[in-house]
Amino acid sequence: MWKSLYSLFKKDCRMMVSGRFFLVALGSLILYTLFIHFGYLNFMQAGIYNVYLYDPAGTQTEASSLVYPVASLKELDAALEADTNGVGIDASSSTPSVILYTAARKADQHRKDYALSLLHPDKGYAAEIVGSNTPEMKQRREITCELLFIEIVAVGFLGIASVLFKEKQMGVIRIHAIMPLKKSLFIFSKVFIFLLTDLVFAALMTLFNVGLADMRSILPAVLVQTAILSLIMALVGFGCTMLLKDFKQFSLAYLVIALFAATPVFLSANTSIKMAWIIYHPFYHVYMGLKKAFFGVPVTNPIYYICVACAIILLFGIVDFAFRKEMGKEG
Amino acid sequence: MIDVKDLTFSYGKDKQALHGLDFSVGDGEIFGFLGPNGSGKSTTQKILTGILKGHGGMVSLFGKDIRSAHTQEFFQKIGVLFEFPYLYTNLSALDNLHYFASFYSKEQLRDAEELLDELEFKRDYLKKPVSSYSKGMRQRVSMARALISNPKLLFLDEPTSGLDPAGAVLFRKLIEKERQKGTTVFLTTHNMLDADLLCDRVAFISNGKIVALDTPRNLKDQNSNHSIIISYLYQGKREEQTIEVPELKTGIPFVYDEIISVHSQEPTLEDIFIQYTGRRLS
Repeated sequence: MWKSLYSLFKKDCRMMVSGRFFLVALGSLILYTLFIHFGYLNFMQAGIYNVYLYDPAGTQTEASSLVYPVASLKELDAALEADTNGVGIDASSSTPSVILYTAARKADQHRKDYALSLLHPDKGYAAEIVGSNTPEMKQRREITCELLFIEIVAVGFLGIASVLFKEKQMGVIRIHAIMPLKKSLFIFSKVFIFLLTDLVFAALMTLFNVGLADMRSILPAVLVQTAILSLIMALVGFGCTMLLKDFKQFSLAYLVIALFAATPVFLSANTSIKMAWIIYHPFYHVYMGLKKAFFGVPVTNPIYYICVACAIILLFGIVDFAFRKEMGKEG
Repeated sequence: MIDVKDLTFSYGKDKQALHGLDFSVGDGEIFGFLGPNGSGKSTTQKILTGILKGHGGMVSLFGKDIRSAHTQEFFQKIGVLFEFPYLYTNLSALDNLHYFASFYSKEQLRDAEELLDELEFKRDYLKKPVSSYSKGMRQRVSMARALISNPKLLFLDEPTSGLDPAGAVLFRKLIEKERQKGTTVFLTTHNMLDADLLCDRVAFISNGKIVALDTPRNLKDQNSNHSIIISYLYQGKREEQTIEVPELKTGIPFVYDEIISVHSQEPTLEDIFIQYTGRRLS
């Protein structure tokens, strides 16, 4: 069995090298790392909200120079109307009140904290401290997690499909039907090579973007969650390739998965958009598992792991059935 | 080697592909399985090679019921040449052969290069990717793949397809050589010449039923009208006469100056196939 698995694995590596899959993965790694270091972090450091202050009595003497003073409530209203992302502060009463035109519960707290901090820039407004991460580390972990999720869901998924469609077109899958080997090893080898690639990718992404010191404590949990996502995506990609006729049909299926599976998860997990049904979405839990791992609070609920194991076994069964069906097809 | 009794198979409720096939193939025999597209040839071969499951009736290979025969040990003993030359096109001929050979035990393997030499494969292409090969070269590599494990039972589906006449002759010699070694060959083909020249016995299959099964010689004899056509010259004029073979016992029963040609009216296998099934093979 090991000899057969080694032969399959070696062949799959050659297929992936000839399909330039490793090159694409390396390119993605470099691109993501450059984006995080030179794009995302700089972008997140920019002062993103304009703050407008109405202070007829001149009580806010320490206000930052970033604050735009307005002469009347009417002018404040006009400013916020034009700049809906801005924050207004009405300091006409003894306690300044914050005015927001577009509202979202979670993001507003951040905007409000930022605006009030500008009234006392030297003292530092004591916003609620959550966790021990610096804002930069929080951003690094968040974006690394998001990009890793995208990489596995999109690039890995497409990668397995492109390798398998080649083998399907060449007809060589049928030859394996009459080879003296356990047929499930063919699936196992493919899934295993993508799993290894994803694990190496996850480790390097974490190393380059979270840093060696912080990586040590989170890496085991990140690898566990990466393995779960990688196995699921590789099996889904394998199954789709067996069931669908060609890469065109696969591209459509991929769009459906990207639009209807991954998008709600991202929106729900990273924005203030609330979808009550999202708790029934399997990808949401896997994504949150990965995110928690990046923030050092790994999932310990056994039900999660039982569900994941059942899903992987079920997917393997479906893929095995589709694979055997494909082997029996006409040329 | 192969025993099939009342073999049935259905692809769905109303799509019965095989309607009770009965045949057997002896050790070291070349057995031809002939039929047009959709007749059930491939389905039968797939059942015998373990690709399709869920058949009815009794099938045994190597003396074992097929349901328990499709083990790794069984696959070590068979070689299959598919209708199309399925190969990894990004790999070379040698890489393909080494890869597929790696699933068998070393003791039973033949040397890949020697095998390709035997198949008159151009040595310059040994390490070039299959994508640069002609159809004939791909067919040679596929044949080498089927033979590399020294199989005891060889399934060949259209072995000479895509080959030039010289290549087809070479393949026939090679199949004949395999038989001399004691290999049993199950040959599925449209090619009547292959069947006629190679097979010990042939079965005609049509609409999932075997309509005739015998040696090519017997089939021809049974379906021959035993006549010949003689072309001759008489008084400077070319003429032709059809006569029954028994009439020749007393010599040529007409006057002539010179015999130009004698043609047997023996039917070809294809004529016989059409006679039995009312359909052409391709």
